[in-house]
Amino acid sequence: MKTLVFGAVTAVLLHITPTVVLVKRQDAVTRLLPGADQFAAREVHLSSTDSRRIHDAVGWEPPDGMVTFYVGKRQDQVTGALMFMRVDCQHGPLELAIGFDPSGTIRGVEVTKATVEMKPWVLDALRAGLTDAYRGLGLEQPPAGAERVKSKIGAMPGYMAELIDKGVMHAAAAYRLFYGRK
Amino acid sequence: MLYDLRHSDLRVRWLVTLLLATLGTSYLFGAWMVALYAGFSPRKVAETYGPAGEAVMAMQMPPDTTMVTERPVSTAEMGEEMHHVDRDLLVQDTHVHMPMYAVIAACLSVITLGLTVPRWAGLAIITLLFAAPWLDFAGMWLTKLASPRFAIVTLTGGWAMALGYGIVAALATYQMWWRKP
Repeated sequence: MKTLVFGAVTAVLLHITPTVVLVKRQDAVTRLLPGADQFAAREVHLSSTDSRRIHDAVGWEPPDGMVTFYVGKRQDQVTGALMFMRVDCQHGPLELAIGFDPSGTIRGVEVTKATVEMKPWVLDALRAGLTDAYRGLGLEQPPAGAERVKSKIGAMPGYMAELIDKGVMHAAAAYRLFYGRK
Repeated sequence: MLYDLRHSDLRVRWLVTLLLATLGTSYLFGAWMVALYAGFSPRKVAETYGPAGEAVMAMQMPPDTTMVTERPVSTAEMGEEMHHVDRDLLVQDTHVHMPMYAVIAACLSVITLGLTVPRWAGLAIITLLFAAPWLDFAGMWLTKLASPRFAIVTLTGGWAMALGYGIVAALATYQMWWRKP
C-alpha cells in the first residue's frame, strides 16, 4: 500500500500541468500579418540533408521533418509570413507565433500557449518587455531578449525568456534556410 | 482470494466505490479529450501521431530532396490547430502518462484481488488492465516510427482500457452492494 501511495504521489508530482491559451492563434495572425486578407500554408518537407543543415545551424530540427510557413497576402502581394513554433522543456511546451515581414526581418513574436505552471513566469517576462527585443531583428542576428529583461525578473521568468529566445532562433533559421524554397 | 470485497468493512467498500466513480468520471473526460484531439477512427489517430502534414500516408521517410507544397487556408483554419503529436511531444506524453496509467492499473488490480472470480479470470483482468496502456503507447510509437496502420493498436489499447475498467467496476459494484452470500 505504501508503494502505491508513493507511486501515486510521484505520478502527480511528475505530471505536466495542462496547456492554456495566452493569445488565440487567430489574434496572433491578425497582429503578425496585419492587412493580409488571403493566406496560404507553405509546407516544406525537409530532406535528410536539409534536416541536418538546420540542426548544424541551430541545434534543432523539426521533429517530423516539416516546417509550415503561413504566408499572408493582400491583392496578391505578400505582406509577410508567420510560423508557429513549439519549444519544449521539463515544465511542458510553449507555443510561439513568429511573424516576418517581406524583407525577412522579424515583425513580432507572440506567446500563444504555455502550461498552467509556466503561465505566470511567461507573463512576467512579457511584462518586462521581452518581445520588444525581437522586433526588427535580422535573420542572422541572435535573439537576446532574455539578456535584456533578466535583470528585471526572477529566475524562472528568465528561464522562460531563454526558451522564447531559443524558439525565435529556430524560427529565424528555418525562415532563412527554407522560406524561399520552391 | 487475498481479501473479499463482499465482506470487507463498509469503509473499504465506500473507498472502492468512490475510487471507481472518480476514475469513471476521469475516463469519460478522457474519452471526450480523445474525441477533441485525436479522434476514434484509425485515420484520425494516424493523422495525430503519424508524420506531419497533408500527405500523411505518403511521407513516411524524409524525401530525397526538400519538397514544398502550398495551399490556400483561411484564418479559421490557421486558428484551428490540428492537434499533431510529434516525436518530442510523444516522448513527453509517454513520460507523463505511463506512470499514471500504471498507478490506475495497480489500483484496479488491487480491487480485482478482492473480487470473487476464478484465479484465471483475476489473472486475465490484471493482464488486461496493464496491457491496455502498453498497447496504447506502443500503438502511438509504432504509428510514428513504423506505419500509420498501427493506429489500430492505439485504438485497441484505448478500448481495452475502457473494457478493463468496465469489468472491474461492474463486478466490484455488484459484489460489494448487491451480491451477498
